[in-house]
Amino acid sequence: MARFLTYVAKRVINYAVMIFVATSLTFFLASAFMSPRSNYESRTPRPPQESIEQSLTANNLNDKTPIMERYTTWLKGIVTEFDWGNSPTGTSVNSEISQRIGASVKLMLLSTVLSIVIGVGLGVYTAQRQYQWQDRLWGGVAALFLTVPTVVLAILIVFFAIEINSASGMRIFYVTGLSSYTGDNVLLAFLDFLQHILLPTIVLTIISAVGYHVNQRTYLLDEMHADYVRTARAKGLTKKQAIRKHALRASLIPTSVNVAFSIAGIFTGAVMTEKIFAIHGLGEYFINCINNNDIYGSVAVAAFSGVCTLVGALLADLFAAALDPRIKMS
Amino acid sequence: MTDKSQNPDLQDPGKLTQETVDHAQRLHEAETGADANWDTMARDDASRDESIEPATVIDGTPVGEGPAGRRPTNAELELESQRLEHTEVKRISYAGLIARRFFRQKSAVAGLTILAVLALLAIFGPMISPYDYTDPDFAALSVAPSAEHWFGTDSGGLDLFACVVHGLGRSLVIGISYALITTVLAAIIGTAIAYARGIWEKIGMWCLDMLLVIPSFLLVAMIVRATSGGTGWLMLIFGLSAFGWIGYARTLRTMALSLRERDYVKAAKYMGVSPFTIIVRHLIPNLGSILIIDTVLGVISGINSETAYSFLGLGIKVPDTSLGYILSQGSSAMLTAPWVVLIPSIVLIVLCVSMQLIGDGLRDAFDPYSRAAGNVEEEAEDATPGPEKLAEHDI
Repeated sequence: MARFLTYVAKRVINYAVMIFVATSLTFFLASAFMSPRSNYESRTPRPPQESIEQSLTANNLNDKTPIMERYTTWLKGIVTEFDWGNSPTGTSVNSEISQRIGASVKLMLLSTVLSIVIGVGLGVYTAQRQYQWQDRLWGGVAALFLTVPTVVLAILIVFFAIEINSASGMRIFYVTGLSSYTGDNVLLAFLDFLQHILLPTIVLTIISAVGYHVNQRTYLLDEMHADYVRTARAKGLTKKQAIRKHALRASLIPTSVNVAFSIAGIFTGAVMTEKIFAIHGLGEYFINCINNNDIYGSVAVAAFSGVCTLVGALLADLFAAALDPRIKMS
Repeated sequence: MTDKSQNPDLQDPGKLTQETVDHAQRLHEAETGADANWDTMARDDASRDESIEPATVIDGTPVGEGPAGRRPTNAELELESQRLEHTEVKRISYAGLIARRFFRQKSAVAGLTILAVLALLAIFGPMISPYDYTDPDFAALSVAPSAEHWFGTDSGGLDLFACVVHGLGRSLVIGISYALITTVLAAIIGTAIAYARGIWEKIGMWCLDMLLVIPSFLLVAMIVRATSGGTGWLMLIFGLSAFGWIGYARTLRTMALSLRERDYVKAAKYMGVSPFTIIVRHLIPNLGSILIIDTVLGVISGINSETAYSFLGLGIKVPDTSLGYILSQGSSAMLTAPWVVLIPSIVLIVLCVSMQLIGDGLRDAFDPYSRAAGNVEEEAEDATPGPEKLAEHDI
């Protein structure tokens, strides 16, 4: 146990250093490529020079201050008060992000669960029927969805939803936002939420289920052809038993690694889907930050995604250790 | 007898054995008569004998079998050729062989044809179009496709045919340059890290992991947002390529791990060949087939990214135009002018599917076992016909 804890601690320290270096790099990159000054200078009427300088300095965004000085101020704020800085307009990045995480989680949670269940299920189903028509059909579907750009997929789904809406004369699907019902009826509010969440969930589920399907199929096929499964068959197990008791288990180890990463992805949201469906989550916030020269906002989103990725990596290590006896032994 | 491998050290012996087998099978299938057009490959007898046995057992694809229920092997084909008094057996180069296998596949040829048509459209479309993608026709706002405006116009009166053709060109240029640049970067850096070993390998891997921590989408967005007008697409290529190679380099490094143990690499090293030359002359060519396939498939992800960034308003902006930009314009008027969304969508799908068909065709051309085995990474690690191929039948 002690050895295990030191192993985890080592990992965490390594990841913390990675996050620090990566976030600092992002900070310098953002400072080099974004100019909050232009936000003020492009206003009409143009504010007086002094007031521009003043507001920039107040938010630690003045490019006339040496970059290392801005960097240390920013870093000090994070370390001492966990303050991730201000946007050029002076609003706090912390509050913006905490407001938006909820929407992203709502959006991602359902689709993540669905895509794992559907994708892994399809992978297992098609692997057992390799080269039969079911496998070829689903393989073709997966290849198509892997090839079609996400934007096109989402737009076409929206397009057909609108067509269905106008054909039926009712608003079955909502294509923007997460809710529009304002009454008190809980049931109606939930129905309204479902109508909103359905389309983005379909888009996100298709995108990630395809990946799970293709990977799980490959993993299971690999295991099905391994020696120990043949031994199990030789001992007299049926093909189904051998797969369920032996091959399936081993094939779920690499899948669990992917699952760990997508658990972390729940919190970071989805940039394209949020933009297309006008959901005010973290993905949309990032696009706004980029468009508004919000250096600290973008760096904070990047750092947050980084933390989520590494939490995912750590979870993946733990999952693999828990599931794979070979790792425990070494 | 070494016509096929001018550089014997650059070829993977395990793969060659498979190719001989596959080759003989396909040959038999393609040329049933005793035509003199044998494209057999030379093998020494020992390896030929080894390849014969699995060939008769494995048999992944159900193609023309002889009455005896098994295919003739290379050796038998050569014997038959001699019996029919063809004294000489014709041989073809490796590239010729790949090309032949590629063109034997209908889907791959279809993909290549579609791509050629799209490329011609992108090159000559602007010339045959009566309108330019920059000047709007105010007399025709949001008109449906007609003889006047072949693809209709958008809400600003821009001729959609001109825009789509121009955007198609942009997508092709960005996709292809992105794929080429990232492949070169990833190949050199990935194999260099594998070849370095020891502390440098550790440092290199740590740096790659560190760069992967922050989603590259965010970093690219930061760089490309600074783009403006006409030269924006160059900046987009730069931004996409600057962060697109990292994950790929990691994969290639894993593949190079087994290559660096090969005798010819050691021999070159102790002969005093410089590390860079070893990487470029010995390591990278041996990943050749994978690199070519991934370059073709990389074009798809390049096009995908271009569409995504332009759609979000971060990539290509007015006065330039691209398929992603047209999509973002059209998505706001989906009910009144659906063609503005549908036409670029169809063009994008056709373009990506054609690239995918070409990529799949190349994959099958390079490795006869890919159809049975799944994805590329797996094959690279497992180039010899392992037990899983034999086991296909008995489970």
